Amino acid sequence: MKFKRLFLILWAVFTALMVLMIQGGVTSLEAFSPDNRTELSGGSAATVSKATKTAFAQPIKNLDRKRRRVFVFGDHLFNTQWVQAPSSVATLDGLGPLFNRNSCAGCHVRDGRGRPPLPHEDRMLSKLIRLSIPGQTEEGGPLPHPLYGGQLQEQGILGVPSEGRTQVSWEEEPGTFADGKPFSVRQPSYRFTDLAYGPLGDEVLFSPRVAPAVFGLGLLETVPQADIVKQADPEDRDGDGISGRPNYVWDFVKKDKQLGILGWKANQPNLKQQIAGAFNGDIGLTTSLFPKPSCNEGQPDCLKEIKFGEQPEVSDEFLDKITTYMSLLAVPARRNIEGVAEKRGEKLFYQAQCASCHTPKMVTGKTSEHSEFNNQVIHPYTDLLLHDMGAGLADNRPDFEAEGQEWRTPPLWGVGLVKNVNKHTFFLHDGRARDLMEAVLWHGGEAQASKEAVLQLSETERTELIAFLQSL
Amino acid sequence: MMISPRLSKTLSCVLLCAVTCSTVAVANAHHHATTRRQQIAVKDVDLKPYVENYAEVVYRNYQDAHTQAAMMKVAITAFLNNPNETSHKAAQDAWVQARKSYLQTEAFRFYEGPIDFVDAKTGEEGPEGRINAWPMNEAFIDYVKEKPDSGLINNPKFEISIASILESDQVTDEADVSTGWHAIEFLLWGQDFNNEGPGQRNFEDFIPNQNNNDRRRQYLTLVTQQLVSDLTFLEAEWKPNAENYRAKFLQGDPKATVGKIFTALATLSAFEMASERMTVALDSGNQEDEHSCFSDTTHQDFVFNAKGISNVYFGDYAGYQGKGFDELLAQMNPDLNQKITAALTTTQESASQIDQPFDQVLASAQGSPPRAEVEAVVTALENQGEAFKELGPVLGTSVEILAE
Repeated sequence: MKFKRLFLILWAVFTALMVLMIQGGVTSLEAFSPDNRTELSGGSAATVSKATKTAFAQPIKNLDRKRRRVFVFGDHLFNTQWVQAPSSVATLDGLGPLFNRNSCAGCHVRDGRGRPPLPHEDRMLSKLIRLSIPGQTEEGGPLPHPLYGGQLQEQGILGVPSEGRTQVSWEEEPGTFADGKPFSVRQPSYRFTDLAYGPLGDEVLFSPRVAPAVFGLGLLETVPQADIVKQADPEDRDGDGISGRPNYVWDFVKKDKQLGILGWKANQPNLKQQIAGAFNGDIGLTTSLFPKPSCNEGQPDCLKEIKFGEQPEVSDEFLDKITTYMSLLAVPARRNIEGVAEKRGEKLFYQAQCASCHTPKMVTGKTSEHSEFNNQVIHPYTDLLLHDMGAGLADNRPDFEAEGQEWRTPPLWGVGLVKNVNKHTFFLHDGRARDLMEAVLWHGGEAQASKEAVLQLSETERTELIAFLQSL
Repeated sequence: MMISPRLSKTLSCVLLCAVTCSTVAVANAHHHATTRRQQIAVKDVDLKPYVENYAEVVYRNYQDAHTQAAMMKVAITAFLNNPNETSHKAAQDAWVQARKSYLQTEAFRFYEGPIDFVDAKTGEEGPEGRINAWPMNEAFIDYVKEKPDSGLINNPKFEISIASILESDQVTDEADVSTGWHAIEFLLWGQDFNNEGPGQRNFEDFIPNQNNNDRRRQYLTLVTQQLVSDLTFLEAEWKPNAENYRAKFLQGDPKATVGKIFTALATLSAFEMASERMTVALDSGNQEDEHSCFSDTTHQDFVFNAKGISNVYFGDYAGYQGKGFDELLAQMNPDLNQKITAALTTTQESASQIDQPFDQVLASAQGSPPRAEVEAVVTALENQGEAFKELGPVLGTSVEILAE
């Protein structure tokens, strides 16, 4: 008798708790914690209250003179329009011979996000196509295309033909929410024209990528790698349908494999290498990390041009300064965190298990040379891991250990400010989503269940979910 | 030139204060026993008259800037009506003259006032980006060396109208500036390949019915008109006794308002002038990496920016002398007042000593005396910015050095 009563009591308590948890929306692996509802997305020193077009371009608070000087000069390098060598300014020349844009800010406008070309634009302005063929390099990376290298460079300096042009066309794919409201998303398809160095061939693998926003990366670099890897569940042992895999990529300084944390496929281990890679591929500038020019065998006009200019074209001093600049870019503070719609949307975000991959919170370690980044509680809304996002989003192009359907969870901090900074709301790796809801609707693979949950929401709830995302 | 009347004004204020404030100082002695020389706490002062005077200084400065720009427009119209060497020179001179008053208004940026507000709902922004955006990719507007077909002017597919020019402004790249002072400057002077002086654009670029000259003429007319109308807007927003920004500004919490005023001064000093316009130029090794590179008038930019900062602190503009913050600080914290006054003097003196044209400094060797002179201005501006920050705790507000 006694045991039966005790059992009943326990059962009642358990049921009550379950009901409370479900009502409270705390069903996901990543439980909502009131601490996560904070304006301080980037922690105490690296969050800036700015919601205007320069929201992504602010440095951390209270910069001392020395770092302010470096920050501002790095900003200048970020905006510099590099020119062909030889020029009257040897420190700022060396563009190309093949390139995509002549400045960092050309793609990452105001340190923000790129987008696909609009109908009236006849070329890619802040988006590019990575190229490879099946196989791997010695370092384990994608095997560059034998004629075109690692990406299609759509511009060349005088006398060097550009590699080609990308033609994007879009096909609408209609769908409906459970309440009967129709929607449409658009699937891109690509055609490559004006190919100057021969056909791309049947084996070619390509991956379209828009330029991501570049703030908050100094903080992400300071998160202990062990903490990131700890979140991984490659075999899905907890059975929640979500794996999360680390990418291990080549570190060209350490000459070793390291955890990849940056880039759409987590294919860069740190900010400096990311920047040097972008200088090399996107602007055609050499650095001590990547001393080879942006030419391949079979591009004789390109090879002829590389004798000009001082080597490396971007000095170590300049590379360090621009790396410091980008490390110091602060995260914009959240807005309206106590708004009714925002709070309801937040609850829906957890209920739909979005927080399982877009994990709200991380804690930085103490490895940064900038003491402001050490031991900070930050809210990037990413686990920095790779997830299978389904066939719809797949580029089918492996990148180190990332497979063709896998993408790194992108951070969501600042996502609501893209329209203020960049005057557009194109999202996802290739900018196919025209607003945040379309981005959600493209989620498949491990995120299929989350998408299904969103499809079931009422119109009001959908507005609330978006209001929450806009507040990030 | 302005030091002597200023000094007497400050001195008389200190003397006056010594008498009238002594009783207040005793009454409040227990609040700040640790800061011996602080006489009046912020809770005992009325900041409003100082805020009101600030608004008057802003208004007078924008009014002047508008008038000067309108005079420049007259000179540019005269030049276009009859393009020759003399009328070209007159238009250039009018630009240089008009800049002087505008540069002083830069002390009113950085707190989302009419010049650089952003409406979060509509996305509408103040005209700063249209008026003074820099650095500028000149090839976006007109031909440059070895690129005769470059720019909006030489692109026949581009319809030249103010709407289309504004739509193209800084869209795909921050440096793709299509309007403002520096666009006009580039059209009047052209690229500067002259080691000894400014750009050497020929007036013949503006003779009608040749090449793309008509498009260039139209472009210059339109961007000049846009600048004048933007300055008209700013003047109207600060006009006294009107339903405008000034009315709202005066109703705000005076402490918070004073925080904005000094954040603007600290930011213009330590960030915009010292870093953005001076150290970047020094560190890049590029002779034309300067603010007003086509006309070679960067030196004047520094001098009048510094003057604008000083105007706000002392509450003056041109012939007008009002209730300055120096008077307030003389009562509240004479040490800090002295420090700021000295910093303003050092900045203005050191800025006036920079070699001209500024691009010659940039061309000079590392560690050379001309560079050391500019480094001295940088230090003075950094000190000045930090002195303004010290006003925060004194005035019960927050003063920051922002980095835009």
